[in-house]
Amino acid sequence: MSSAEGRGRTVDEAVDAALIELKESRRNVDVKVISETPEETLVEVTVIDHTAVPAIDSAPANGKAEVARGLVEGLLKHMGVRAQVTVRTGSEPITLDISGRDLGALIGWRGETLRALQSVTNVMVGRHLAEGERIIVDVERYRQRREHTVREIALRAARQVKMTGDAITLDAMQPFERRAIHLALEGDPDVTSGSIGEEPERRVVVGPRKPAAE
Amino acid sequence: MPGRAAAGRIRKAIALVNSVADGAGDEDVTPTEIAEAIRDCLELSEVDQVANVRRYLGEALDAVSDGMPADFVAMTLYAALGALSDG
Repeated sequence: MSSAEGRGRTVDEAVDAALIELKESRRNVDVKVISETPEETLVEVTVIDHTAVPAIDSAPANGKAEVARGLVEGLLKHMGVRAQVTVRTGSEPITLDISGRDLGALIGWRGETLRALQSVTNVMVGRHLAEGERIIVDVERYRQRREHTVREIALRAARQVKMTGDAITLDAMQPFERRAIHLALEGDPDVTSGSIGEEPERRVVVGPRKPAAE
Repeated sequence: MPGRAAAGRIRKAIALVNSVADGAGDEDVTPTEIAEAIRDCLELSEVDQVANVRRYLGEALDAVSDGMPADFVAMTLYAALGALSDG
């Protein structure tokens, strides 16, 4: 399995740099963000080996992932969707990747259908999971791409807040997107993030971190 | 569009449940709030105009009362939303 590191101002730029080196397309790779600063982003891009036997076959301890994979595969078959379901290697929590052609309908409006599919999957696999354990379902890396995008948005907003000192209210986002923003900014000593509004119009506000009262 | 208000309220309830399931980390959503959001859906007469919508919403409300996992509640609400859009 080949991999390469990429650097750029944004995650997208860094991934593109690594993809050029690997001569691969984005849908065939796993992306791991190694470091992110306002100036530079470093990523590790690993080519997914589609011919490899899923790790689950050689790792009985991870049988839950295989149960989930089989159930989702069967569900898609009943839905008349031709797609391949794989277990993302080295991912915690267990993540199922669905790939194939014309899977836009499986993602749906603002990822709604994908989120519904994930809920159904977790209900089906529920009895095999420990308390609090969940299965993440991703279609054509949509979720991963959205997380990268909102992280970019978060970092850009943080830069602007530092320059102007004014808070910025972002667009309404889904819970996993808001979570990605909070995680992206939690280590920043100069900005803070919070959410306002009611679902499904809940928005993240990025503002300057006020110094602690003496 | 018929059912639009109901769809909006069901989506709101789903988003509340998902923020619990996904651990958005920016709000403590209580079962009471989710139940209120589902009751808001049930108040609309639109939910009686399409078969099964009220039944699914009732099941979702029962699931919240019974302390069922968030994904189960979400799945039942998605079923209501699906029935509404099919209707």
